Amino acid sequence: MNLTPDPWIWIAAFLTLMIFSFLYKDNPFYKFAEHLFVGVANGYYIALYWHNTLRPNLYDPLSAGNFIYFVPLLLGLMYFTRFIPRIGWLVRIPIGFMIGWGAGISIPAYFQADLLKQLQGTIVTPNSFLNPLEGIWAVIILIGVVCTLIYFYFSKEHTGILKPTARLGIIFIMIGFGASFGYTVMARVSLLIGRIQFLLGPWLGLIE
Amino acid sequence: MKWYDRITQIDRRIIYLLLTLFIILPLFIPFKIPQNVMPQTQQLFDFVDSIPPGDEVVLLALDYTPQTAPECHPMAIALLKHCFARKVPVIGVSFDPQGPGLAVEAITSVIREVNENARTREDSVIYGTDCVYLGWKSGRVAALLQMGESVPQVFPVDYYGTPIDSLPLMLRVGNYKDVAIAINIASAAYPDDWIRYPQSRYGVKVGAGLTAVMAPKYYPFVQTGQLSGMMSGMKGAAEYEHLIVKHGYTDDSGTAETGMNSQSMIHILIIVFIVLGNIGYFFSRRGVKQ
Amino acid sequence: MKRTIPLAICLIMGVVMMIQFFIPHPISLEFNSTILNWIIVLFAFALVLAIGNLIRHHSIKIRKRKHDWPYSIVTLTSMAAMAIIGLFWGIEADSLFQRIYLNIFAPLSATMFALLAYYMASAAYRAFRARSLEATLLLAAAFIVMVGFMPFGQYISPRLPAFAEWIMRYPNMAAQRGIIIGVAFGAIATALKIILGIERSWLGGKE
Repeated sequence: MNLTPDPWIWIAAFLTLMIFSFLYKDNPFYKFAEHLFVGVANGYYIALYWHNTLRPNLYDPLSAGNFIYFVPLLLGLMYFTRFIPRIGWLVRIPIGFMIGWGAGISIPAYFQADLLKQLQGTIVTPNSFLNPLEGIWAVIILIGVVCTLIYFYFSKEHTGILKPTARLGIIFIMIGFGASFGYTVMARVSLLIGRIQFLLGPWLGLIE
Repeated sequence: MKWYDRITQIDRRIIYLLLTLFIILPLFIPFKIPQNVMPQTQQLFDFVDSIPPGDEVVLLALDYTPQTAPECHPMAIALLKHCFARKVPVIGVSFDPQGPGLAVEAITSVIREVNENARTREDSVIYGTDCVYLGWKSGRVAALLQMGESVPQVFPVDYYGTPIDSLPLMLRVGNYKDVAIAINIASAAYPDDWIRYPQSRYGVKVGAGLTAVMAPKYYPFVQTGQLSGMMSGMKGAAEYEHLIVKHGYTDDSGTAETGMNSQSMIHILIIVFIVLGNIGYFFSRRGVKQ
Repeated sequence: MKRTIPLAICLIMGVVMMIQFFIPHPISLEFNSTILNWIIVLFAFALVLAIGNLIRHHSIKIRKRKHDWPYSIVTLTSMAAMAIIGLFWGIEADSLFQRIYLNIFAPLSATMFALLAYYMASAAYRAFRARSLEATLLLAAAFIVMVGFMPFGQYISPRLPAFAEWIMRYPNMAAQRGIIIGVAFGAIATALKIILGIERSWLGGKE
């Protein structure tokens, strides 16, 4: 065992153990660590927002006499009217501006990236069968996509032809979710491995 | 209590203890199982490997958080090592506010490591000339679109507050035209926006490094070519680490590859638990029927 | 007026942004560029608002001596300390700010997430039952992926990794694509409803 003399690593290790103590039950150490996290995280955001966005993208241009930036400043300040009941409705102006913008740009983007391209990738053409096996897989994809979409189509009752197709759709979805579950296990375990590697390595010096 | 009831009621503390032990033990008994590299990781590696040195840049969007660092941090380190070894300049950006701390750590630690082993200027990496970290920006989608017109409009200064026009690398990078590929290492669905906006509008090639939770969703984008390859979770990171060692770009494998042994053990353990639970369920149901 | 003006702004922004996507004229580009610069800044203000709310929440808790109020002091003081350190002493790679990020912020955040591994293992053991055909398929796909993608999978059967990859590339992909297309239709419909003022829940309140 080769314990580190670095006080920062000791702090990190103790905080890690404080959070792990929650596995036993909720306790003051965990609560302290949890509240410390919320505080430090928000303090971090404040400094970051200032240094990386508000100063270079608002304060500096305004100081350089670029007065058009008064518009976003004014719109931004309108958010705070939320706290003044008499003029509280003004907060809707920056929100309307933002969500109108977001909705406007998202329509062509979704259409192109998530609809057109994905539909293109699903279409089976004679060329798909140049390699017969690939052709079969392409047909499976086509059937899977159509049946999944039918399963999620709730505007019409799933009777007649819709019933077996929706049923096939749910089978594809379950295989997909199963695969996702396998991946989720991998993800969650990775995070725990990371913490244990830290405790055993940099802190206790038991592993390299 | 019947045996089949007993195996469905193992105390959670025993599960926790076994889980911890199964992670710790493989870390002490290092054994190496060869990585089978997934096609999409190979595809990403091949893409980066084919970028001509010193011309176009790799835009690395480091949007992972400490929560997902064990999966994503090794990806960032491996990609940086790969690019630096090939003399491909790297520009780092972040749009997740939790990202910059880890991005700074990844970039500075890899630059330090490369320079410690460098013998000549050619071998070393100089901040500002070979690599720049532009830092974080709010309004991700707006920033992504604006970078297509002008990167300096979005990032007038780098993370450290240095004016962008005083960094030699940034003098030759105006917008996405100078970017060979944008690789988004992300712990949330940010690659969607890279595909929807910079790619749809400006035709940028996009690659991704994803947490394993997100990976299944992105297979359709690999098939359509909207993603030029991706790394999935710790496994993807381990594969990339394996590839850069195999091609002689570095000689030490990273943390992901060692973590994979624990990962394998845990998978077996969880499968055993699920099987036990199901055996118990199956027999208890039969018991009820009888 | 209190509803019409915001709705009109939303409509104008939505329509203009949609149109400019298809018009690469210099004036359109210049206009778009200005709007984008504003939006970047506006998003930053949203955080200022969130921080304001957080301070208010914890101050009230302390003032009224609500349950667990001493922890609110921890939150407020650590937030103030971190903000001051970052604002006045800088955020460089070797700064105190970066050290606190790496040794306090990062381990706390990472460990909270790491707890999920325990809960997930325990929940999978208790709840993951092959009760029906669908659940059995889910279970089988999960097992194949969990074994096939691990390095040891190839020793169980050399074909296992390829089979796991096949599941991901075909059945999984078909389902994921169906969901992506479905979500895209939903997103486009919602965006249109917002622009046209049919969906107004964002206005909040009655007035």
